[in-house]
Amino acid sequence: MELLCLGLNHQTAPVEVRERFAVAPHKLGEAGRELCEFAGVSEAVVISTCNRTEFYLTSDSADAALERLETHLLGKSGAHAEAVAHFYRYRKGPAARHLCRVVSGLDSMMLGETEVFGQVKQSYQSALAAGSTSAALNKVFQRAFGIGKKVRTETSIQEGSTSVGSVAVDLAEKIFGHLGRSEVMILGAGEMSRVTAQSLVSRGARSIFVSNRSFERAERLAAEMNGSAVRFDDWQDVLERVDIVISSTGAPHAIVRREDVERVRRARKFRPLFLIDIAVPRDIDPTVGEIEEVYLYDIDTLEQIADDARSKRRRQIEECERIIDAELAKTKLPGT
Amino acid sequence: MDRWLLLTATLLAIVGGTWGILSVHRGHRSRWTTAWMLGVLLCQFAFLALRGEQRGACPLADRGEILVFLSWSLTLFYLIIGPAYRISLLGVFTAPVVVAFQVIALLPGVLDADPQEVRGANPWHETHAATSVLAYGALALAAVAGVMFLVLDRQLKEHQLTSGLFRNLPPVRELLVSLVRLLWVGGALLTVGVIAGLLMPHDASALPHLIAALAVWTAYAVLLGVKTLRGLTGRRLALASVVLFILSLGVFAFI
Repeated sequence: MELLCLGLNHQTAPVEVRERFAVAPHKLGEAGRELCEFAGVSEAVVISTCNRTEFYLTSDSADAALERLETHLLGKSGAHAEAVAHFYRYRKGPAARHLCRVVSGLDSMMLGETEVFGQVKQSYQSALAAGSTSAALNKVFQRAFGIGKKVRTETSIQEGSTSVGSVAVDLAEKIFGHLGRSEVMILGAGEMSRVTAQSLVSRGARSIFVSNRSFERAERLAAEMNGSAVRFDDWQDVLERVDIVISSTGAPHAIVRREDVERVRRARKFRPLFLIDIAVPRDIDPTVGEIEEVYLYDIDTLEQIADDARSKRRRQIEECERIIDAELAKTKLPGT
Repeated sequence: MDRWLLLTATLLAIVGGTWGILSVHRGHRSRWTTAWMLGVLLCQFAFLALRGEQRGACPLADRGEILVFLSWSLTLFYLIIGPAYRISLLGVFTAPVVVAFQVIALLPGVLDADPQEVRGANPWHETHAATSVLAYGALALAAVAGVMFLVLDRQLKEHQLTSGLFRNLPPVRELLVSLVRLLWVGGALLTVGVIAGLLMPHDASALPHLIAALAVWTAYAVLLGVKTLRGLTGRRLALASVVLFILSLGVFAFI
């Protein structure tokens, strides 16, 4: 019996190919059961996330099972025969090693991301509930989860924020703790500020104010975020009450000047103010950062922090793979 | 025996502080700091109980005892505030202050080698001494929280966000909230101490001490008043807490 893996991911296939082979979360178990009906296939787990679709099987006739699976997938997706060029295939040990890399976040688009661990676990649970896994794949997946946990706790593969949005959110939490008592103002209803503000809302930010030169756009974005629109001439009044300001207007000059912040300091009782300037050219006069209670971060600084975290994670890959190999060498998994 | 207890408390604080610093350096938060500091508290308590028995009164009769009482109070407030506000790192910053106070107390001549029984102890005097030193414990911890804030503020301002210390420091707002609460607790206890000091029988030689105590009380009252009524930047509040605490230690010079 051999452990097999056939799949495609963001490195081997563009999104228009990946989406053809994607399996809806509620159909993962059923898809696994379908594969178990193939001749020679005894167990199957199907994983499908936005960046990958993978099929893990155990079979006594590996070549035939892989060929049958490819034909089945092409037929079901309606993709051209050339699509198989996007598939990767692993057998025995390398299949188990690949699963461990996936669970550890080493195969993810965002290196070290944690979401994939839960997604694989969910896929395995679906297969378990559908009865498409048994002794062999159970052991392989349980071991992979154990190794994934070890990799994440013993290395810094998931440390640091790797995107501008997550850096901004982490900094906001470092300043204000839980964001449930924090209010946010967005200056300029651009995509970048929308994404950053959404991240803050997802972490519990209490209320959002949106101010934009076009009041209709401000209203639209405010409605989308359950916030309030503010006329662009009135944003200084709101500055008095908010804790975080995200600025991303297309203005060719500074929108937030030192005197704007100085004017409201007393009314704010000198509370900390976190200013995130993601506009180019910058919206916030750099001298605003000299005010004692103001923490000012521009796009370059945020990018730099994210880049440092990504580099740090990349430096951890070797150590993570060493742990995976050492752990896999400790036990002989079924089919490897 | 009492010196051995104090030495043990000091060694435990050194181990707890060093353990915590090494953990922070490695990017982790030491879960053991609280346990070490609990050991410190128990040894301090045993020391004070022993000295109290020998004195037949609250053990605040020499500078060494005052320093140990102050360390005990500081440790006690840390153990109450730290876990409650999840500021375990406060222990890492508290331990060196406790070590410094206790090392001074252990220097030859600071602690009476043969503590004599205090005769004619007055309840107002006892209340004054005990609440004042307890107040100093809270104010010392406020100063420690102030130092933590200043470190974090500098790192955030200068965008130095990669150290283990930065990752483990509590958020700015939580630090400021606990700092202000400690100032209020310290201020309230100091008020009781000062009132008891005014009510206790004293001669002219006690006047400089009482004036110094009143000056300290006034300074903290002004600080809390300004913070409450007008508002104060975190940096100024933290700096004021640290500077005021250091200056206020001068009160003990007049005892």
